[in-house]
Amino acid sequence: MTRTQVTPIGIGVGAVAITTAMAITGCTTNGGAKGDSTQQGDGSTKTLVVDNAFDLKTSDPARSFEATGNVVDKALYETTVTFTGSDVTKPVPQLTTYAQSADDKTLTLTLTGKHIFSSGNPVTADDIVWSYQRVQGIAGNPSFLLQDPAGKNIEIAKTGSDTVTLTSSVPNSQLPYILPNTSLGILDAKTLEKHGGSSTKSDAAESYLNGNSAGSGPYQLSSYDVNSKVVFGPNPNYTGHKPAYGRVVLQNVLGPQQKINVQSNEAQVALNLNADQVQGLDSGSTRVVKDTSPNVFYLWFSQDPAISQGVTDKPQFLTAVRTGIDYDKILAIAGSGSIQPGGMVPSQFLGAIKPDVTNTTNKSSATAALASAGYKGQTIEFSYPTGTVVNGVDVGTIAQALQSQLQAVGISLKLSGSPSSTFSDAYRAGKLQSGITYWSPDYPDPADYLVFGPGGPLAKRTGWFADSDKNVTAAMDAAVSASGAPARGTAYAAWQRLMNAHSPFVPVVQPGQYLVTASSVSSIVANPVWSVDLATIE
Amino acid sequence: MSDEREEATAETTGAGRLPSPFLRYLGVRLAVSLLLVLGVTLVTFGLTNLVPGDPVAAALGERASSDPQIVAAFRQAQGLDRPLVEQYVVYLGHLLHGNLGTSIQTHNAVATDLAVAVPATAELALFVILLSVVLGIALGVLAALNHNRPPDQLIRAVSLVGISVPSFWLALALYYVFFFKLHLAPGTGRLDPAANPPPTVTGMYTVDALLAGQLDVFGDALAHLVLPGVVLTLYAVGLFVRFTRSAVLDVLGQDYIRAARAKGLPPGQVVFRYLLRGSLLPILTVVGLVFGSLLSGTVLTEQVFGWGGLGQYAFRASTSLDLPAIMGVGLIVGIVYIATNLIIDVAYGLIDPRVRVR
Repeated sequence: MTRTQVTPIGIGVGAVAITTAMAITGCTTNGGAKGDSTQQGDGSTKTLVVDNAFDLKTSDPARSFEATGNVVDKALYETTVTFTGSDVTKPVPQLTTYAQSADDKTLTLTLTGKHIFSSGNPVTADDIVWSYQRVQGIAGNPSFLLQDPAGKNIEIAKTGSDTVTLTSSVPNSQLPYILPNTSLGILDAKTLEKHGGSSTKSDAAESYLNGNSAGSGPYQLSSYDVNSKVVFGPNPNYTGHKPAYGRVVLQNVLGPQQKINVQSNEAQVALNLNADQVQGLDSGSTRVVKDTSPNVFYLWFSQDPAISQGVTDKPQFLTAVRTGIDYDKILAIAGSGSIQPGGMVPSQFLGAIKPDVTNTTNKSSATAALASAGYKGQTIEFSYPTGTVVNGVDVGTIAQALQSQLQAVGISLKLSGSPSSTFSDAYRAGKLQSGITYWSPDYPDPADYLVFGPGGPLAKRTGWFADSDKNVTAAMDAAVSASGAPARGTAYAAWQRLMNAHSPFVPVVQPGQYLVTASSVSSIVANPVWSVDLATIE
Repeated sequence: MSDEREEATAETTGAGRLPSPFLRYLGVRLAVSLLLVLGVTLVTFGLTNLVPGDPVAAALGERASSDPQIVAAFRQAQGLDRPLVEQYVVYLGHLLHGNLGTSIQTHNAVATDLAVAVPATAELALFVILLSVVLGIALGVLAALNHNRPPDQLIRAVSLVGISVPSFWLALALYYVFFFKLHLAPGTGRLDPAANPPPTVTGMYTVDALLAGQLDVFGDALAHLVLPGVVLTLYAVGLFVRFTRSAVLDVLGQDYIRAARAKGLPPGQVVFRYLLRGSLLPILTVVGLVFGSLLSGTVLTEQVFGWGGLGQYAFRASTSLDLPAIMGVGLIVGIVYIATNLIIDVAYGLIDPRVRVR
């Protein structure tokens, strides 16, 4: 026997195995051409596939406070008031109309129209009261939404057969802008109480809600896998405008694969592509809907003498930073659709301002300010969360750009990246000298940004307290007590101008955000609160 | 009466029958395995708590984490307000009742999450190991039998590529070429987006579909296995080829092989009855290691293909400091490796009588 005469059977077996697999692949799939199979039939049987990079934890509105959770709950639950399209400056009725008292302490909600849960039960004032009290009772992530500006739970009471009043201990002008949040979706109390639901801490309905929905929204849950896929089917009892797609599949897919999927019509919508990835997609088989994200990247510098090293707590140092940043280059890095916010309040919200002289690039001004701060080249530790990508922009990339820009005006930053959870822990403990992170709005109102004001939760982390700057504090108090949209807008604008000049926070960029759709999708609207309303996609 | 007669008498009469050496060995190994699993839980728990960072920071938003009441409620719900030793003891107590705790991220019981993730990974691992063992051993034997000739060199080059190419790059490249450009492969996930999974029996879609008689779903699930399977198979085949070739070359020069050939035995018989059997021990070792590694989840490949297996679950758990999930994953991975090693050790004895327990 010679070696070459031996023919291992395994090679043949392996070849057969591969051939069989590929034959099956060819027989059972159209490969990339999925469009026809998902688009057949009338609106009630059409399937829409939406790709999203999941951060989903739960579909229980009272516990959900993630971007993917917002998409899911928007489809399943109605709220008392809502926003139309992408306009978040004017709440409109959904389940109820609303009326605010003159002192902004009492908000009255009155049921309007006919709304029915997927179980067939009608939506009542009792359901609204129960749902809101459940959010407060569970004390989960979104429970702060139903606390007033003084930190007390808003009193929720049924005051008529169709009327609910929300009473705050202090003026609460922003409440109508908070109620559209998907975490405040109204649930079917009768159904949930049979499945362990309660408006107290003992609530045990989450596992039920993670497989069944109990809302009056256009869809209900067909299947739910928190790690891979959520499938929606129609709610036969929905009384609103019927969605164009009878079945929606929201699947967990990473960015690069989202691009491939939407180009091949494997998915009809991609939610997480960044500026680089959407290049060339606004033609042919795909469309790009470009918008500006409400997320604000910002820098902070500690005012705590024990941490600042006598550098970052100097007003002239902060001026040097503000005018030393090359905002145009930052926008170029962040990609098309990005803008520089004028203050901490995003451009889409009431009270937003444009950049002014305090946050416009001026290197000579930066150098002069640095000199008057007495800065002697000390190294400033600049922290950031690694692996954190927001609207396709890596926080670390912006940090590196800032390091080199500020180096050019004489400021020495030492980059100190750490995993997100470690970074958050240290940041919240107020141990970091400086850094960059981002703020994602809890609700679309400038009051959400009071956390950055003197004595606010985020300001305290930097050692900036209520008595640290009386002028800014006074402007903040004026904004809080302003009533009506025009007066509030003016007051918050004035507050932000003072923040730009005196606060330890430097807003840098709002990234662009992109919805990419297959050409079969004719209409889609982005929303700063819930990203996209699946029921309005056509 | 001599000891041997006493022993023989006892066995004959059935009185005080002694367990066989193999059973004694198995018993000892199982007992040691339990201690090892306990050690795994202790090490995993200790290391996770040594990592800087608070699960509160990962689980709660900025607003919620600023509210002491919400933070306190969260800590109490997760048992984080207790001393570490007490947390570990409570965990062990729950473990004895099959309770692996509740994931901070998914809000599901960890056991429920693992019941989905483990079969997903197991399905992929079994597909890969079957394919790669057949291919790898066959190619390794072929390479050894054609030592230093063109077939050997070609096979060695292919195996080098297999173990060198980064899996995430290969995954993306294959996805782009075969799915997007050539339309030969399906998209991400374990099934078509429009398809419903088969009724759950094992959690492996191919098996469950067959059991339910859903041939279309079986085909869809098998088709989705191909691309991620090829990515992982390339690496495994690369390893198996190298080990097999080396082991077979060691055996080829042995006298008993020469004797078998001299006796005029058919070439196939020489290869399968003498050559392979003689070189199987090191091959078995690497097969066990690779299988254990596959069963523990391959993060990058699962991420690219949206597989929803143990690798993805472990990655998400670790980056979000989801302690119960991390402990659950550590436990599963520990059990996988311990069980795999035990099976390999037993298989050693079956293959080679010289290493049997006496």
